[in-house]
Amino acid sequence: MAVIDKKVWTNWSGDIHFEPSIAMAPSSEEELRQIVCRAIEHGQTIRAMGARHSCSPLIKTNQVLLSLENFKGLHGHNAQQQLATVGAGATVEEIGEDLFAVGLGMINTGHINQQQIAGAISTGTHGAGKKLTNLSGQVAGIRMITGTGEIKEYNETDHPRIMQALKVSLGSMGLFTQVTLKSLPAFQLHRRQYCASTDDCLHHLQQLMEENRNFCFYWYPRRDDVSLRLWNFPGQGTQQLPYARLYKEYTGWGKDVLPTSHSLKYNELEYALEAQTAPACFTAIRKRVLEKHRSQVAWRILYRPIAADDAWLSNAYQRDIVAITIHQHATLPYRDYFNDIEQILQHYGGRPHWGKKHSLKAAQLRRLYPMWQPFQDLRTAFDPHGVFLNDHLTEILIEE
Amino acid sequence: MMMTIGHKTWVIPGGRIPPHSAGREPSATSRDELCVLNTNEQGAQLEITVYYEDQPPVGPFRIYIEAQRMRVVRFNDLVDPVPILLDVPYSAVIQSDQPIVVQFTRIDTSAGAITTTMAYPDKTIS
Repeated sequence: MAVIDKKVWTNWSGDIHFEPSIAMAPSSEEELRQIVCRAIEHGQTIRAMGARHSCSPLIKTNQVLLSLENFKGLHGHNAQQQLATVGAGATVEEIGEDLFAVGLGMINTGHINQQQIAGAISTGTHGAGKKLTNLSGQVAGIRMITGTGEIKEYNETDHPRIMQALKVSLGSMGLFTQVTLKSLPAFQLHRRQYCASTDDCLHHLQQLMEENRNFCFYWYPRRDDVSLRLWNFPGQGTQQLPYARLYKEYTGWGKDVLPTSHSLKYNELEYALEAQTAPACFTAIRKRVLEKHRSQVAWRILYRPIAADDAWLSNAYQRDIVAITIHQHATLPYRDYFNDIEQILQHYGGRPHWGKKHSLKAAQLRRLYPMWQPFQDLRTAFDPHGVFLNDHLTEILIEE
Repeated sequence: MMMTIGHKTWVIPGGRIPPHSAGREPSATSRDELCVLNTNEQGAQLEITVYYEDQPPVGPFRIYIEAQRMRVVRFNDLVDPVPILLDVPYSAVIQSDQPIVVQFTRIDTSAGAITTTMAYPDKTIS
């Protein structure tokens, strides 16, 4: 059993610090199962970390911290059915390479490809595209260790309700060891980036969302203008944007063209709004930032459409959404800014991203998710001892 | 043969980005900005360090000016590694690996005001 010799852990942005009693990187399912059984026996709790990219304290623990870095690789694929089973500790980037080697590609990815797939799925992490779901929507099957120490496999055909609970479950139902993903034959995308005025962007927003496979825009508070990002199969998508200036374009494989490289670290606040209300919500946020926050805020706000799905705790559950993401430099204060903007996001009926900053607790979250109780029933069945809970999960899932 | 013009170190002691703007942005965004001329046959790599009254310096902000080109840079847009706060006094030291010429301009659209001056060239360091 590999014990990791590191005392203090942080998340990616450096905002969260904690000291687990032990950190381990098991190398087999049997080791993992034994860790769970020992935790149950001794009344301990376990949190599994991914790439530690989340801004919310999902992995913060003073007990057992697990790394799934040894659970990588392609375990099998079916090119005809376009399915691929990968290790749950593989990063999105690594999965892109593994799938590409067998002629496949992930249907969609986020702008960052460094997350481990288990964490990305479990938090409802997403990319941008009106007709594309978040990453959990690409999941066809899960192999895992439950809170009773059992190794189980589930799939959408045989266990539809369990899969609806499992897909976005914040690591509260068990430890994923393998994930089967729906995929596509490896494909190329043409990526274009334009500068435009915010008003022109909003005027053409519905058309841009409708006509482009992947679309998002970044709004820059220091200039009150936007960067439009379009990804399409070559030759497709909106061709004429006379109101915008093309400043960058290139074509390549989806795994290479969808992500964006990031040098700055930042904290994030994000809510998912119903697609119809998102423009008004963004407009209200834009106004508030320009009036109140511009002197302290310079980093961008991101607007990304995402398709509805059926995962019970997905913030896109049964509704097409737009995710509005607020960024603040990791070295600058964020609380007052995020608290102020969060009120607007809540006013417009938003659901928070599980892996980013938010202030909601279980009593408020319950009202946002119609399948909250069925989820809780299954979570309790999968983890009757609460072995996968930490203080944060207790606050957002249980305490009311 | 191209004449080399300018210096490698320039100083702007009196920066302060106006906080309010009037008119359609970004063209009418109030701002502090640099105009940089690079007459060399090589590109110029600039590093800008920003100094405040009450906190340690921040930077370097890195900017590249291609050979025999000029470039306009807004201080408002300098966000990496950290943004320059609006309406806060600051000074800037610009160091280049090639001789350059630097002009500083403040545009305050809320007041209808524009001021411009040459930055101070530090000849001792150059």
